[in-house]
Amino acid sequence: MSPGTLARLAVAGNRTDVLRLVLTAGSTGVATVALLAAATVISVQGYADRYTSALLAEPGLRPGVSIALVLVSLPVLALAGQCIRLGAPARDRRLAAMRLAGATPGESVLIATAETAVAGFVGSSTGLVAYALGRQLIAARDHFGRLRLPTDVLPPIPVIVLVVLAIPLLAAVIGAVLMRRVIVTPLGVVRRTRSRGPRPWPGLLIAVGLVLFGLPLNWPDGWHRPDWHLPARLSYGVLGLGVVLVMAGVVLGTGWISHTVGRLLRRYGRMPSTLLAGQRLITDPWHGSRTLAALLVAVVAGGATLGFREALATDIRAQRSGGSGLGAEPEFYFNAYRLVLIVVGLSAVVAAAGMLVALAESIVAGRRSYAALTASGVPRRTLAASVLWQTLTPLVPALLLAVGSGVALARLFDTHPPAPVPVPFQSLGLLGAGALLAVVLAAGAGLLVLRSSTDLEELRV
Amino acid sequence: MEPLLNGTGITRSFGPTPALRGVDIDVAEGEIVAVTGPSGCGKSTLLHCLAGILRADSGTVTYRDQNLGLLSEAARSRLRRTEFGVLFQFGQLVPELTAVENAALPLLLAGSGRREARTVALGWLDRLGVADLADQRPGAMSGGQQQRCATARALVTGPRVLFADEPTGSLDALTGEQVLGEIVQVARAQNTAVVLVTHEAKVAAYADREVTLRDGVVDATGLGLGMRA
Ligand SMILES: Nc1ncnc2c1ncn2[C@@H]1O[C@H](COP(=O)(O)OP(=O)(O)OP(=O)(O)O)[C@@H](O)[C@H]1O
Ligand SMILES: [Mg+2]
Repeated sequence: MSPGTLARLAVAGNRTDVLRLVLTAGSTGVATVALLAAATVISVQGYADRYTSALLAEPGLRPGVSIALVLVSLPVLALAGQCIRLGAPARDRRLAAMRLAGATPGESVLIATAETAVAGFVGSSTGLVAYALGRQLIAARDHFGRLRLPTDVLPPIPVIVLVVLAIPLLAAVIGAVLMRRVIVTPLGVVRRTRSRGPRPWPGLLIAVGLVLFGLPLNWPDGWHRPDWHLPARLSYGVLGLGVVLVMAGVVLGTGWISHTVGRLLRRYGRMPSTLLAGQRLITDPWHGSRTLAALLVAVVAGGATLGFREALATDIRAQRSGGSGLGAEPEFYFNAYRLVLIVVGLSAVVAAAGMLVALAESIVAGRRSYAALTASGVPRRTLAASVLWQTLTPLVPALLLAVGSGVALARLFDTHPPAPVPVPFQSLGLLGAGALLAVVLAAGAGLLVLRSSTDLEELRV
Repeated sequence: MEPLLNGTGITRSFGPTPALRGVDIDVAEGEIVAVTGPSGCGKSTLLHCLAGILRADSGTVTYRDQNLGLLSEAARSRLRRTEFGVLFQFGQLVPELTAVENAALPLLLAGSGRREARTVALGWLDRLGVADLADQRPGAMSGGQQQRCATARALVTGPRVLFADEPTGSLDALTGEQVLGEIVQVARAQNTAVVLVTHEAKVAAYADREVTLRDGVVDATGLGLGMRA
């Protein structure tokens, strides 16, 4: 297959495919801007009081800002991953037709992956242009001659090139991995679904993650409160691994939660909508893990941050009453936490957008069965209710698990609190409610798609 | 004479349902074989096994000394774009590509240049009387035009065997007969063997020979549709 043919076959698409390309390009573009910004911040040298914000001026704080920007780009990349699945049934049909004409399985994956890579490259190039233009637009100095953002610093050119090339590559790899679970046969698509229902073993992941996280912090002497010496780096690694395991456990555990909730709905549900929702949850229990992954990760991070903040507040209260002053201004630390919470909030918004895409995708994928149900007299209200049941019933326990895991991380971190640290139920409640609201809004928007999907026209062809 | 394509003792089940229970079949070079039988007797499954789209559970399918069961999925795909042509009742055209792109697809996949592939494909569309639709997408064509376009695609590489599963099943009687006449004529002209699945006696009458399936085995009475008519 020549490159020209590959390009032609990769971009052959209908309107949903165009939407997928645009969304993939858009999300990779945003991720590019975030990563370039991170690279810019880390490229600033020394103490830089030419910036208005202490976050940029202080050499000790810039790595944190950089990491926060990288963290923001993660849910955006997850969104790109969601977009790759958008409109997949139509693409799979097209690939099957090509397989019938003699395309090998490898070529069909290549065709699908090339599409993602092209979209990702368009996105990252656009992101680069936006970054360059943005620097010009916000380069103004205030009347002290200080800059709001580091528009006077450029990351090394190789780093820029790396970001612009790595993002489409990453998107393509994600796409290929997602495709690998799907065998496109010439007669249509066989999705490699797991035959057994999910088991509760992700609970073990959470437990192991918490133990790993707690280990270096509670190590006798030397390791406590690690800083940048060699054994401490190792302990940072173990800490990070613990966090990753906990987050993975929460995301994977959602599959088991969905399955269990589905069984309960089917057994105890009396309404047609609950029965439909239960059946769908059992049929594809991993749908929740896929759609909610980014949001759940953001909620774990948010829960942990709120826990840390509460511990800090307790610390400060204790020291105030004990008369000894804290080294730096406490307001400074609270500002840092505020920044992290803003990052978490942004991630949650991006995650909700990804969820909307995924939900719309699942409704569009199942539109024939929805249309057939409507045709056989099932009212739209019942279908809408079943979509809501299907989305919200596994969500509430999954959110509780995510918030709980986050708080557990925070409490493990604070090994010797000067006073008992209260659980910040109020702000945790707000976090959970915010996430719930985001999902409800996304589901509501998804229901608009359902309206057009139950059109009897869908039964044609 | 050594047959071009040979199936021996082919069995294939879908879960607990046996679709084929030991089928023997030979197809000689340039021969047109009709496979007939009642709905659900395993005709399509047999065709898919012979064309290497499905793997048989047991038994062998041999094409020119190659055992299809031993070839990789990729190798069988390459066979399909060079030696075999496939023609179904509907749905084998890529809806997003134009007629000429669809017809040129096997050539493009095999690595031909786009201009050259287009020229060859246009020639085939012309031969089947749909050259004026070259830049239309399948959605804008009638069923008969789509099947002519699909025929062009199936024959564009000059295959040795054409596998056709009820190729005129979705067309009205008159158009169906026309399209089928063209398929048979073109196949004969370039000595392409045809495995033609059908349950219509009229269609079976175009064939040199008829194999009747019943419940996944060859019906030995030999009283097929064409013979009875
Ligand atoms: N993908 C599949 N999954 C499960 N069962 C299948 C599948 N394909 C075929 N079958 C079963 O295998 C048997 C033979 O099917 P096949 O499609 O070969 O019949 P056919 O002779 O082509 O019928 P028709 O004339 O209706 O097209 C049927 O009982 C069918 O239900
Ligand atoms: Mg059939």
